[in-house]
Amino acid sequence: MWSPLIYTIGSILNAVNLFTQGYFLVLYGDLEIDYINPIDLCNKINPYVIPDMLVHLSLCLILLLTGHFWTFLFNVPLLVFNYLSYRSGRSVLDATEIFKTVSKYKRNSFIRLIFHLFAFFYYIFNMIIAIIGHAVAQNESRPQLMT
Amino acid sequence: MSSHKRRQYPQQQIAAYDVSAGTEGAEGPGYGYGGEAYQYADQGGVFVPAAGAASIVPTPNQVSDQLGQMNVGGGAYYGAYGGYPASGPAANPNSPGMASPYSGAAPAAAPFGAPAPSASQHNASFNDLQTVDMIQSMPPPVNDLDLPPPPLAVPIEQTITRSEYAQASPDYFRSTLNVIPSSPSLLKKSKLPLALVVRPFIGLRDSDEQIPLIEDMCIARCRRCRAYINPFAQYTKGDYRWQCNICGCANDVPQNFDWDVQSSKTKNRWERSELNYGIVDYVANSDYLARPPQPPTYVFLIDVSVNAVHNGMVNCVAETLRQTLHSLPNSDNCTRVAFIAVDGALNYFQFPLPNPLKPDERQDARMLVVSDLEDPFLPTNSGTLVNLTECMPVIERFLESLPSLFANTYSSNSAMGSALKASLGLVKSIGGKVVCITSSLPSVGLGKLQPRDERKHLGQKSEHQLLQPANNFYKSFAVDCNKAQVTVDMFLVSNNYQDVATLSNLPKYTAGSTFFYPGWSAKKHSDSLKLQAELGGHLSQELGFEGMFRARATTGLHPSQFSGHFFVRSSDLMTFPTVSRHHSYVIELNLDETIKKPYVTIQGAFLYTSSHTERRIRVMTMQVPVSDQLSAVYASADQQAIAMWFAHTASEKALQSGFDAAHELINTRIAEIFKVFRTDVLNVHTGTSSTLSLSSNLMLLPLLAYALKKNVGLRRNNQILSDIRANALDLLQTLPMPNLIKLLYPEFYALHELPDEAGLPDENGNIVLPQRLNLTGEVLQSHGLYLLDDGQVMFIWVGNDVVPNLLMDAFGVETLDEIPSGKYEMPVAEDRELNCRIRNLINASRQRNDTVYFPSLYFVHQNCDQSLKLWVAALLVEDRSESDPTYYQYLTTIRDNLAAK
Repeated sequence: MWSPLIYTIGSILNAVNLFTQGYFLVLYGDLEIDYINPIDLCNKINPYVIPDMLVHLSLCLILLLTGHFWTFLFNVPLLVFNYLSYRSGRSVLDATEIFKTVSKYKRNSFIRLIFHLFAFFYYIFNMIIAIIGHAVAQNESRPQLMT
Repeated sequence: MSSHKRRQYPQQQIAAYDVSAGTEGAEGPGYGYGGEAYQYADQGGVFVPAAGAASIVPTPNQVSDQLGQMNVGGGAYYGAYGGYPASGPAANPNSPGMASPYSGAAPAAAPFGAPAPSASQHNASFNDLQTVDMIQSMPPPVNDLDLPPPPLAVPIEQTITRSEYAQASPDYFRSTLNVIPSSPSLLKKSKLPLALVVRPFIGLRDSDEQIPLIEDMCIARCRRCRAYINPFAQYTKGDYRWQCNICGCANDVPQNFDWDVQSSKTKNRWERSELNYGIVDYVANSDYLARPPQPPTYVFLIDVSVNAVHNGMVNCVAETLRQTLHSLPNSDNCTRVAFIAVDGALNYFQFPLPNPLKPDERQDARMLVVSDLEDPFLPTNSGTLVNLTECMPVIERFLESLPSLFANTYSSNSAMGSALKASLGLVKSIGGKVVCITSSLPSVGLGKLQPRDERKHLGQKSEHQLLQPANNFYKSFAVDCNKAQVTVDMFLVSNNYQDVATLSNLPKYTAGSTFFYPGWSAKKHSDSLKLQAELGGHLSQELGFEGMFRARATTGLHPSQFSGHFFVRSSDLMTFPTVSRHHSYVIELNLDETIKKPYVTIQGAFLYTSSHTERRIRVMTMQVPVSDQLSAVYASADQQAIAMWFAHTASEKALQSGFDAAHELINTRIAEIFKVFRTDVLNVHTGTSSTLSLSSNLMLLPLLAYALKKNVGLRRNNQILSDIRANALDLLQTLPMPNLIKLLYPEFYALHELPDEAGLPDENGNIVLPQRLNLTGEVLQSHGLYLLDDGQVMFIWVGNDVVPNLLMDAFGVETLDEIPSGKYEMPVAEDRELNCRIRNLINASRQRNDTVYFPSLYFVHQNCDQSLKLWVAALLVEDRSESDPTYYQYLTTIRDNLAAK
């Protein structure tokens, strides 16, 4: 019975991730056309890197604790990816090396963006299914209550 | 197979190394090797730029007096030089047709109206491809390491003024490929790197260089790509417009271009330096200023903890600084200095201004101690950063008393991280240089470091992790320094672990330098001599401030990767808070579309504030021919520049992925170059062959790459401490080309067979160097005396059977036992000619005007320490080492692999 709520939270948190990655990508693009300098870029991006990962981690925990195992499994690859990039110490940008590494960060951001985009539709779809399922369940249960 | 054989030398070469043949063999005519028809010209013949310089130039009288001095660039470059095949009549400015005097503006129109010749028509004038068999031509002709690169085959009609100096001198600006492949696929196929090697300054002082200066503030630039006008630009529409040769945009000629403001007269535009010279300096106007030029500013952070006091560093540094104060750049008497002594706390020094009423009153510096290390504050508003000239007497007295002030210290901590932060606060609004001289690891306060467990990693795959910064503080601090236009220099004087890998990050990203003195002690005379010479030399070089470098190239080519000590601020802009004049940089170029033009132009512009607080722009331009033929590309590749690219790329790779990856990179690339040369240039596809061919101009590239693998920075060895590694990698990424080549392949001379003129000054006062020997133990004779010099250290190797007469002549001693072993200075025996000549050779290497490094001298003979012998053996790079075969085996392995495929 919690499913509609869980998927609503899921799609909201996921939208936050989606938005952050989109924002990063725009900034990387700005850097490549010299619209922003590396120092400003790092100041703008670095504060959001870890929170972005934490948002995704909290979503995964919610899914796990509420027993949405398949949805959790769907998120595991990104969870591992985030963990590895955190472990390597290269998750936050380094202003001194940025021009050597920006293409890699851009690619990573792009992969995350695609992932979150799919996930977004997945959550919306599941949310609708869950709401309908919930409504049907209530409908089915109503006559029983009447009798 | 042949790989089991010992290295075999051609007959005459063995004779040349034979005792009896002695010097005559080495000086024999032609210096032939391998018995091939191909011969390198004798070195003497190569450097006769005098003819080129004298025959000059169609250009104006006004500038002609500078031409004689410029012959390093022009004469040696274009002049007839024998090292490489002549590049066809069109490229030779000395051919009679070209020498007709050029006057006035009229002739300019004719050649430019004519259609540009297509690439294919010009193939004839490229450098000829000369194939050499690498194995036949063993040992490698190492004296050719000094040869200039293959000339740029650009006909003189391409230049607007027919100037011989239209191309930037390769000392400053050179490309790895002097013929650029016309398409990205061809470049990829060639397997050669395409990069620029930039060295904005070739001397430590302005007086060491002769670059024409344009002072009328009339700077013609393309309005679209912002390139500067250069000798290869074209005039259109009756000379009122010029067409940019980089982007093709048509621009108006500035109004003052033909007008001399000072004398209010019309000026002959064809005499303007920017149309005659490949390298010019402009005095920039206020458009090029982000803020008014700031005075040169120095902050000295001196470690005064127990370590530094005990090994004598404080004493030595205070004395050196006192002597150097007068030679700091201080042309307008506006240089400012500050001193902070660092132990567990920050000790600021406040210098009182002289009292104008009582000029004779003795005033002393006051010490202000700040022990808040987390948030270091400035204890006073005035008197810490003072004008050097005004406070000179007080500062001198202060430096005299500094060692005694801390002589009885017991603080073993060092708060260097906090001190760095404090010094940044001191000069934040001005910018300048922070010189950090330390003898201990920062152990308290910000950015403290722990000794890392080296034993766990040495020789392991994870060894390169020791070379990565242990701490984020230093990298992020480097970014803060860049914002404030501050450079940090590190002098690491220690006998313990110093974490050079972490600390050198600061100089690396703020365009500074790291100097490392392992096992330093003031008790050793040569140690303190080295520190004094390098600290003094580094501080007294003329500085550039707030430098920026941007490279532009014809559409289709653009800079992609930058390597060296600086901060990359946008995708094509390198910035330097202050410019170290003994550094060099490598810029990789990306070719992203097919180039249809027969020539491309590459221009580098270096904007900086000189020590005289004048904004200057140094513009370097070169035009490079384009070809669709792989053979033309190979025939004009520049082996030294490619070796430099290898040094930068491989050391970066070693830092990121480890030494194996760096070796792999070098091995694969070299093998690929051989393969491409064999299958695509020579079109040999079948059969096993006993030859290993390469073009003559690339002949020494495998040797340099092989020597790079054996350099301390990259060598596979589990004994090399990470501090020494980090410092060696740092050198690989900063040294300018001649010094880098010397580091990779040290100079090796036989002192017992010095030719008559070697070691004595020539007519210009330069010391004549003898012929180099190949770096292999096979040339060592037990009765010989040798000098080995890589620019960082020098060794005098004394054979076991040296005759007493030679010892007497060289050192003024009678027996081998009287010669010390290890680090010592050369004994002086004034009455012995050989002794003078050896000292001349040593001094010539130490007193170069393009480097601040002062090589220490070691004596090596039978009685010396085993580790010293191993050290020298490791520098004999052609020989077998622990992990690598001999150079001969290296080549035969490549050959066998090629034949097997």
